[in-house]
Amino acid sequence: MKAWSLLLVLLVALPLVVGVVNLPTHDAPDAPIHTGVGVRYLERGVEETGNKNLVTAVLLNYRGFDTFFEVIVIFTALAAVLALPRGSAARPGGFPEEAAHEADGAGGRPAEAAREANGAGVPVSPVVSYVVRLMAPFMAMFALAMLFRGHVTPGGGFQAAAVFAAIFIALGLVLGPARVAELVPDDWRPWLQGAAPLAFALIAAIGWRLTGAFLGFPTDDHTAQEAMGLFLEVGIALGGGVILARLFLEMET
Amino acid sequence: MLLFGLDLDYVLVIVLFCVGLYMLVSKSNLLKKLLGLNVMETAVFAFIVTSGMIEGGDPPILVAGTAAPYASPIPQAMVLTGIVVAVSVTAVALALIVQIHAHFGTIEVDELKELP
Repeated sequence: MKAWSLLLVLLVALPLVVGVVNLPTHDAPDAPIHTGVGVRYLERGVEETGNKNLVTAVLLNYRGFDTFFEVIVIFTALAAVLALPRGSAARPGGFPEEAAHEADGAGGRPAEAAREANGAGVPVSPVVSYVVRLMAPFMAMFALAMLFRGHVTPGGGFQAAAVFAAIFIALGLVLGPARVAELVPDDWRPWLQGAAPLAFALIAAIGWRLTGAFLGFPTDDHTAQEAMGLFLEVGIALGGGVILARLFLEMET
Repeated sequence: MLLFGLDLDYVLVIVLFCVGLYMLVSKSNLLKKLLGLNVMETAVFAFIVTSGMIEGGDPPILVAGTAAPYASPIPQAMVLTGIVVAVSVTAVALALIVQIHAHFGTIEVDELKELP
């Protein structure tokens, strides 16, 4: 078994090595990646999108369709995970959303029990618990900075979403998932989970109205452009963060 | 940096990819297989994102204090998309593994094969 695996790996590695032999070396300024469409983005990206962070410009503007469907992909992943029946025997059947509501209320694991024996029955270390609770506000501040300064510094919606999710997950580990689920009100939850695709759909409609193109950005109005971009970023950060956190907490319970 | 006439970056990416592939095919534990898949994904992302780098380049954020040449923004944006897809795949796979464990009490492929 092991020998066959190694043979297969070698068989795959060989064409890969042959394939990269003729590629331009990394850092080479004359590589096709630096002479293709990227040149135009670097030259006119700021003027056309009003976004100094060109990664964000490519993500939201030039490749907006790509990102639209990308947020739908992660939303679909959450839907697929929620559609599976709960693994734990303690959970009755029913629709996942209802089961989740029960878990948040009386039917769920009490926060006290979660604090004593979390996950695999390992007690939560007081050091970990203290540090996580101490650092949570600063992590939130960092996420907000990445979100709202993302146009001039490294950062953006997805990065902020990952940090938001990390806060929820870290808190879920020390306080128990039920306590963390309370942080997101039940009425808002479906809207927050769908925030990213919904934001994209709304901006796409507005862009259609303003420019006549689906997901079009008005190139002559930088204020509108920036507002639309920021709206998308906030939608991605909120939606992505809630989805990532829910995915994790769903596995944990 | 060259190694036997090959760019060292490419060599390392291929090695990482092969480590992931080996985990994927040789391990019987589904979680380890999934980890292997993630290692392979990481190798692909490293390959794509480093392809946009340029000698002495700045990040593609055109603010005061930066100057040409800039790294290409396209691979970075594409890898961001790839990472989100990788997260989605991992999440669904993990959920399925949890289900498999709940139903059959094992996540070893060779044990699952012997189940009636």
